[in-house]
Amino acid sequence: MKRTNSHLYIIIAFVIAQIAWLGLLALWIYWYVTNYIVFEQVGEKLSPLIDIQTPNVFVFTAGIILIVGIAVVMFIFFRNLSVQYKLTNLYDNFIATVTHELKSPLSSLRLFLETMAYKNVSEEKRKDFLSLMMKDVKRLDNLINTILEISKLEQKKIVHDRREYKAGILFEELVNESILNLSVPEGVVSYECSSVSYCSADKKALQIVIDNLISNALKYSKEAPTINVSVKDNRKKIIIDISDNGIGIPQQYQKKIFNKFFRIDSVNMPNVKGTGLGLYWTKEIIKQHKGSISVHSNGLNKGSTFRIELPALKNKG
Amino acid sequence: MTAPDELKGKRILLIEDEESLAIGLEYNLSEEGYIVDWAKNGREGIEKINTGNYDLIIVDLMLPYHDGFEITKLIRSRDVQMPVLILTARSSNEDKIKGLDYGADDYVVKPFNLKELLLRIERMLRRKSWYKNLEKTGETFRFGNNRVNFINLECAAGEKTFRLTPKEAMLLKYLAENSSRIISRKELLENVWNLNSDVETRTVDIFISRLRKYFEPDPENPVYFKSVRGAGYIFEPGN
Repeated sequence: MKRTNSHLYIIIAFVIAQIAWLGLLALWIYWYVTNYIVFEQVGEKLSPLIDIQTPNVFVFTAGIILIVGIAVVMFIFFRNLSVQYKLTNLYDNFIATVTHELKSPLSSLRLFLETMAYKNVSEEKRKDFLSLMMKDVKRLDNLINTILEISKLEQKKIVHDRREYKAGILFEELVNESILNLSVPEGVVSYECSSVSYCSADKKALQIVIDNLISNALKYSKEAPTINVSVKDNRKKIIIDISDNGIGIPQQYQKKIFNKFFRIDSVNMPNVKGTGLGLYWTKEIIKQHKGSISVHSNGLNKGSTFRIELPALKNKG
Repeated sequence: MTAPDELKGKRILLIEDEESLAIGLEYNLSEEGYIVDWAKNGREGIEKINTGNYDLIIVDLMLPYHDGFEITKLIRSRDVQMPVLILTARSSNEDKIKGLDYGADDYVVKPFNLKELLLRIERMLRRKSWYKNLEKTGETFRFGNNRVNFINLECAAGEKTFRLTPKEAMLLKYLAENSSRIISRKELLENVWNLNSDVETRTVDIFISRLRKYFEPDPENPVYFKSVRGAGYIFEPGN
């Protein structure tokens, strides 16, 4: 409600400013036209030698330029204000989601610690609780790492360890590693490859990409998820498609989901947790590999396919 | 610490999508003697509300499919008595006010103190039992010439009949439960509104003034809802 109002104020202020400068322009033209004769008479009296046409045109043009200048400055000002407003909204959203992501594992850690401190917990239960606590600690660790790594990436402080890999072998290894990292049950992820190209890649960074995409496919899946990763060549590019049978992504969000802090707010979403940083991070890593990433989905419950395009190395393969 | 015997076996629905937190809560509540049913998201929560018979519902706010606000509103639209506790990481005043306004009885922010949470749950269940006892005996709460039915919130003051709002009923119920004792505004804010006393204490005065208008023969000279200078209020229902 508060945000909608703030947005409305900006629009109203912008409209008023536009009316003001248009009014100013109209006044200026009116003033000039009504005083034109006076200019001529005064000019003739003061100095009959002055070419009366020249200064008049100059005054008129200067006035117009000044007013148009004001309009341009005003436009830039409001544009920046609007960008700033959007950023503030995104930042607020980010703070809310990060706070939530920090507080949730912290609450369960505290709960288990208090439970074990105050209650007579059996050895078996204690082991269960400790394993859940480890999961929460890992989640906190991941969140903090994500924030720090993205900050480094944006400040270009990351030194990439680029090496040449045969794409088919590299991505098979990355997918297998993701299956282990995310404890994906057997048979959920399939892999196929027809690529013979080589690419230059930072394996650690691409692992984050594949982890993020497979993890998203699982989070936004239905009861029995199936994920297919395929790698193929297309002219000078290596195409990596990661397809799932999940809930899909509505058309209007397909470009936005790579924006920083963006999260889809919909009643159809089976998962509301997250910071809105995962896909942004993924996109930035791919960009640093001089590649691109896009998503295609036929709509709700029709799955989605994330496509990564990486440049193939010349004179290889 | 376990729950009193009369509260053991009470059924609690826990709507929480954080698995480890839900497991921890389920363990602790079961240890207290309650029967816990866990719903992993908003959709499952609503299904369980529709089919189950619960004595208390604990709901998270950020839930898949249907958020906690929506669920609280739904519960309250169907049952004015069902104790609802919002358990969430969201701590802004706007969220607290919205949650309570939608009908939650209590709002606890994560991370929480386990003992405090269990006590709050116990207190809410006690109030629910109090309601149920009224229902069983078919009794109406009476004071002076006034009758209050806490089940449907219908009241009668002499010949005049009217219906209380849930918040007015909660305030009257708290005063009735603590009759003949001085209750500070702070205590009322904390227990009826579940807000800390930094929030405008004038809210309490406004609600007390409403109760006086409803039930006092002369609201200017109250005999039931008395002010105690510098201390708060005292409710004296008489015999």
